[in-house]
Amino acid sequence: MIRILVRIAVAVVVLTLTAGAVAVGQTQDRRVRELILLTRPQAVDPQEFEMARLLAPEFEKLGLKVTVRVMPWEQLADYVWYSRDKWDMTMWQMVGRAERSDPDEFTFNLFHASTAEKGYNFVGYINSTYNGIAEAQRIKTDLKVRRQLIFEAQKIIARDVPYVFLVFPQSSYAYNNTVWDPKSVVEQKGIGLKNFWTFDAATPRGTQKDFVLNTADPVQAINPLFISGSTDSWITELIWDRLLRVGPDGLPRPWAAEKVEWVDSVTLDVTLRRGMKFHDGHPVTADDVIFSFTAPMGDEVPMYKPFVRVIDKIEKRSDTVIRFTLKDPYAPFLTSSLAKVNIIPKHIWEPVLADLAKKPENAESYQEQVPVGSGPYKFVQWKKAEEVVLEANPDHFAAPKARRWVLRIIPNVEAALGGLRNGELNFLSVYGGDPQILDQLAKQTPSITVVSTMDIGMRFLAFNLRRPPYDDLAVRQALNMAANKKAIRSVVFKGYATVADSFVSPALEYWHNAEVPKLNYNIKAARDVLAKAGYEWDADGRLLYPKGKVETLVGK
Amino acid sequence: MPTRFSFLASRLSQTVLVLWVVATLLFLIFRLMPGNPLVAYIDPNFTAEVQQALLRQFGLDQPLHVQYAVFLSNLVRGEFGRSFFSREPVSQVMWQVLPNTLVLTLSALLLAYAVGVVGGALLAARRGTWAEAWGIPAVLATRAAPEFWVGMLALALFSFTLNWFPSSGATSPGSAYSTWWAQVASWDFLRHLTLPALTLALYLQGLPTLLMRSTMLEVMDEDFITFCRMRGLPERTILLRHAARNALLPVVTAFALGIGYSIGGNVIIETVFSWPGLGRTLVRAVAAKDYPVAQAAFFLIAVVMIVMNFVADLLYSLLDPRVSHERQ
Repeated sequence: MIRILVRIAVAVVVLTLTAGAVAVGQTQDRRVRELILLTRPQAVDPQEFEMARLLAPEFEKLGLKVTVRVMPWEQLADYVWYSRDKWDMTMWQMVGRAERSDPDEFTFNLFHASTAEKGYNFVGYINSTYNGIAEAQRIKTDLKVRRQLIFEAQKIIARDVPYVFLVFPQSSYAYNNTVWDPKSVVEQKGIGLKNFWTFDAATPRGTQKDFVLNTADPVQAINPLFISGSTDSWITELIWDRLLRVGPDGLPRPWAAEKVEWVDSVTLDVTLRRGMKFHDGHPVTADDVIFSFTAPMGDEVPMYKPFVRVIDKIEKRSDTVIRFTLKDPYAPFLTSSLAKVNIIPKHIWEPVLADLAKKPENAESYQEQVPVGSGPYKFVQWKKAEEVVLEANPDHFAAPKARRWVLRIIPNVEAALGGLRNGELNFLSVYGGDPQILDQLAKQTPSITVVSTMDIGMRFLAFNLRRPPYDDLAVRQALNMAANKKAIRSVVFKGYATVADSFVSPALEYWHNAEVPKLNYNIKAARDVLAKAGYEWDADGRLLYPKGKVETLVGK
Repeated sequence: MPTRFSFLASRLSQTVLVLWVVATLLFLIFRLMPGNPLVAYIDPNFTAEVQQALLRQFGLDQPLHVQYAVFLSNLVRGEFGRSFFSREPVSQVMWQVLPNTLVLTLSALLLAYAVGVVGGALLAARRGTWAEAWGIPAVLATRAAPEFWVGMLALALFSFTLNWFPSSGATSPGSAYSTWWAQVASWDFLRHLTLPALTLALYLQGLPTLLMRSTMLEVMDEDFITFCRMRGLPERTILLRHAARNALLPVVTAFALGIGYSIGGNVIIETVFSWPGLGRTLVRAVAAKDYPVAQAAFFLIAVVMIVMNFVADLLYSLLDPRVSHERQ
């Protein structure tokens, strides 16, 4: 009798334990896996690293286990770009450039379905309504209509949360106001003091007529067919001209082109300015301009190819008039193409590109010994790892007031700051340190002026929408509500940033939609959103998928 | 002499063997690291076909042993390929920075050893006095203090406060010279060289000072010194003429080895003073997976170290007749 009772008791215990184990196993199955948050190393980008470290504990308050994983930039870019099904979430940034003053690049490239497999839409956002809007804003040349479409696009993205937008940082630049006349230094919206217009127009006040500025990394290439880095592009902007340039107001204005006229929605006539010469004395002709736009259409110039893809044909109507015919109407053509492509001398590059066509390398491997352009500055010398020297081109129609432009490579932040203070540098163009220190320096030293400008570029957290749980809107909303953006702004950026709710910066006043739906930082409300969507929490506080759904990606 | 020749020959073959081992290790380390080796060279806009073409061009699609054979044959010819970063020949990349590093290293070492030899001899002579009691901790402190900290202090004081020296680069902004030698001989270059060389020399002098001191103390105990004193020679002559010259031997070989150690390791000084040298180039190449440059730089450092090792051995046998490499 006792033996039977004992056996029954043992059976009951075993069954309960099994049921419990199965139940736990089932909740283990439903438990959301450990999520990996990728970021660049602290030594490389302390702000990005700190943002990741602030976000992870807040996400854990929702019941998730989040691990911050550091990867060097090249590896991170490789992983996110080429292994699109492997990563969970990553810190990322889009850098502010003058050409990005037109919102088309972000609107289309970041979220249109066509760039999801290989392009900038690495999060995998697919929304056919959004596709329609992104395509429509490209072809509407009526500014007001385009504006409404861009506003609508921002609203959709704010609602769907493929990113958690974090901040638009402010860039601080400083210069010596006893060397450069403050009235001639130009602040460009979304870019700051360090821009083409300052380098062209700044007027020296005293005996020092050379720009002496700094950068932290070595220059990789001085090549008009290669976008090799932000520092390198300051140099290309000065040595080569473009048909149009993005002005300090963020809108394109005529430069090498005297005027630009839309004949119809796909046809544009560009009149080339007369009297322009390359630095080797050859005149700039319509043939050079046509060559500059047809060269990237081949396979030798991959980085510029997307910017000429919309061109159907280019005809020379006269010595100075060039007619562009587009495949489809394309409103951003002036900013993203005509203000982007460099005008290169055909007599130099045609044989070079013909030779490269026979080899697997492309134009990015070619470095001219003495780069020749038609721009306001001419190349003088390049001491690798030390400095690049350019001198003013007196024959240019907008010849600079400065005599030379000398870029020094200074990897040490404190040395750069000290160099500004003691006069070795007269323009601080790269500063990776504490912006408060720079402000203090300006207050203590009347000869130094510091200007902080909100950037076009932004910092954000990207979700991989191809992988659960990010395919669920409720989870993305909850994570957005768990991100303390105000804390990031004050702690990480010391107040030198603006909280971001959209991919269009407030610096672009015309295009920025201030009325997008915003989700404020609120952990409790975030948990409510999850609860309403059917998520639960287990005994350990870990988040569980709604009933019927299990975690399929453990260990992947 | 036949025995000396055979010594040379055997050492030479040993050197070649060590270099081969180093080259093989370098090859394996870079090829077996995780990640796409061309990540620094290929940008996301490249199509898959172009990427494959590049992999083929660099031979990275070949099996490992084929790559190894190509690697060795290139190495022997001094062909290091092209940098992934700047696309120019690696030898050109090295030539732009190696002379600057050599000048900085050699001037710092010469200064450090000159001061160290004198300082060490003096410390040995002042045995048991307060000069020694303060001197040794002071020398140890210079060795223990982080180079970047000393460098920043030097910058803060001599450059930013006193304005005696410039704070970055090897020459003034925008300056140009007809030849490299003209640049090195110029006042401008010397002014730029001073702070980094002094900072490095301050760090380096610890070794020769203490080494000189301890060998001097050993030598001073030897019989011939006692004999010199019995002869009534002035202490100074004993110190300089007799003791120091004998104590110098290990220091000379340390100098030869010191060149080997310092040739690639000045990255801290180069970063603090923005000196365009090999150390920074090497660190950047490794971080960016610029294999050709990193391989060439590491190999160069290995060659210099091994050669200087050999030179040190030769020097010792030349300077000290008691030491012989011949078989007895």
